[in-house]
Amino acid sequence: MFVKTLYGLLMGLLLSISLVLNINLLVPIDEDARLLMGLLLAFPIWAATITWCYFLEPIKQILKKPLLVLVPSFICNLLLLFLR
Amino acid sequence: MNKQNYSLKAITHAHAWVGLVISSVLFIVFFAGSISLFRDNIIAWERAPHLSTQSSTAALSLDNTVTQITNNYDVNMHHRMFLIFPTAHSNYIDAYYGEHIEGGEEHDIHTVHNQHTGEIVGNGSLFDFSNFIYELHINLKIPGYGKYIVGIVTLFFFVALLTGVVIHWRKIIKNFFQYRTKGKKDSYLDAHNLIGVMGLPFHIMYAFTGLVFNLVLVYQIAYAVVLYQGDQDKLLQAAGYGEVHIEETNTPQAMVGLDDLYQDAQTQLGVEKLGYALIEHFGDESASITFRVDDPNFFATKKEIKYLIKDQSVLYKTLDNYDNQVRSGLQVITNLHFGNFAGYGLRILFFILGIATCYIILSGNLMWIEKRMKQRVKNEFGLHFVKAMTSGVFIGFAFAVAIGFILSRILEPDYLLRTQFIQTAFYAILATAIVTSFFIKQQKRFTCLFLQLTAACFAIVPLLDWIVAHQGILQMVKQGYFDIIIVEMMLLILALLLYLIARYSTPKTQTKTEHAFDEIDSSLSTQ
Repeated sequence: MFVKTLYGLLMGLLLSISLVLNINLLVPIDEDARLLMGLLLAFPIWAATITWCYFLEPIKQILKKPLLVLVPSFICNLLLLFLR
Repeated sequence: MNKQNYSLKAITHAHAWVGLVISSVLFIVFFAGSISLFRDNIIAWERAPHLSTQSSTAALSLDNTVTQITNNYDVNMHHRMFLIFPTAHSNYIDAYYGEHIEGGEEHDIHTVHNQHTGEIVGNGSLFDFSNFIYELHINLKIPGYGKYIVGIVTLFFFVALLTGVVIHWRKIIKNFFQYRTKGKKDSYLDAHNLIGVMGLPFHIMYAFTGLVFNLVLVYQIAYAVVLYQGDQDKLLQAAGYGEVHIEETNTPQAMVGLDDLYQDAQTQLGVEKLGYALIEHFGDESASITFRVDDPNFFATKKEIKYLIKDQSVLYKTLDNYDNQVRSGLQVITNLHFGNFAGYGLRILFFILGIATCYIILSGNLMWIEKRMKQRVKNEFGLHFVKAMTSGVFIGFAFAVAIGFILSRILEPDYLLRTQFIQTAFYAILATAIVTSFFIKQQKRFTCLFLQLTAACFAIVPLLDWIVAHQGILQMVKQGYFDIIIVEMMLLILALLLYLIARYSTPKTQTKTEHAFDEIDSSLSTQ
């Protein structure tokens, strides 16, 4: 349970930052509204990712599945930041 | 076992584990938070009967207040000064500032002033029980890291909510009215589910808003690094926090003309009663004063105006949350969390839901205990530890709060160590309760008696109010301040709820099996 918790905590944080960053870079609205939207979405994504990690069994799946979302999202971050 | 059942079992296990780990801190946060909904009332309850009354109809005077402060204290220029104006709970001006003391150090001062003459009528820091409870709510009274500990616990409270919804989702309608009284574990489970489902919007709101208050720094850093190349100021500017700042000049400046600025702020902001003023660089040529107020016509709109005291020029003015979505959004989140947008009805509802959440936390732990006892687990110490923490921390905390209320009422108002004494007694009682519950043999009986004692202590406070401070109370009521009555009602509701929990949680006669479990538990604790 400790492994799931710590991994979920870390993955949730990274995923929330990465996904929200994509939204922030993609949505064509005012800067302050984008920041607020990020704030509103980030915490639920973090909590949901931890919950998702608790769902996954065995440990190999826990390590693999969040990464399958994080890696493409991270690549998207890099592309969007590069194109900005 | 199919995959769906396997996942459901994993999530149920996670829900129980997360709930158990965060239970003690979460209980403290919710219990203290529920009481803090009446923070301003409790401040008035504690100090107003002891302060001299004001009968004058003269206008509020900031100049008189500041003159009294400078005549009595060596105010630290680098420390901000807050002047909180009279409210529906207080007829006084509360001033918070820093004072230079020998050796180049400074200490915080909180004085209470007559709003007309500015005369110092009391030392506000002597009546600090309400703020103490509030600090326990926001950071467990641990400076620095306490806020983040509460933030992480809040995050896992959010996780517990999500896992709870997943577990209960298929039965959320079917079992909504289910409450079984025969099996003890069943009744805990049904109460846990019932309160959890009914209070779900409330819980989600508190989990989310609590997270924003305590862990926003995490995303602030991430945004600043990625989007603003590490420039924190740029981020704050975009978020509406780019306030005008003037550097200190170290040239002395008399702090006069504040009453004129107060009147001008009333006109410019279009509000008769302002909330508070903030003076920066007190006594310096660069000193500024900012007046802030909530717009009474809107749900979450702040108005603000900032003046340079030297020439009374306006440095900044906003009538709409600095015209910024982040500031507006945070203001909405703040108002939702504090429940200060719909009068006492809403606050009483939030209070009852808050205490009900404490019962959810308690019933979660009790279900875990019952389950482990039936399984006759080998980790007896773990079981005893959870039992002791449940009764020691949960009831011990409530009991310490009750004693805090009693001490706040009976200690002399001019006793200089009043606040320290109450806080020390609070910690000592909590520690004693935890230690005692570790060594007690009959946990169930102890828990029941302790709950009843706590309920009695809360119930006795209104009685003490009228014995110790009846003249002051009557004076307050005559002036139209009903805070004492509100706090007394809150304490009586709390006493009633605790008494009911004590009465219905403990069976009148133990079954043979339960008796056997208690015997096992007693023998374990003696080993």
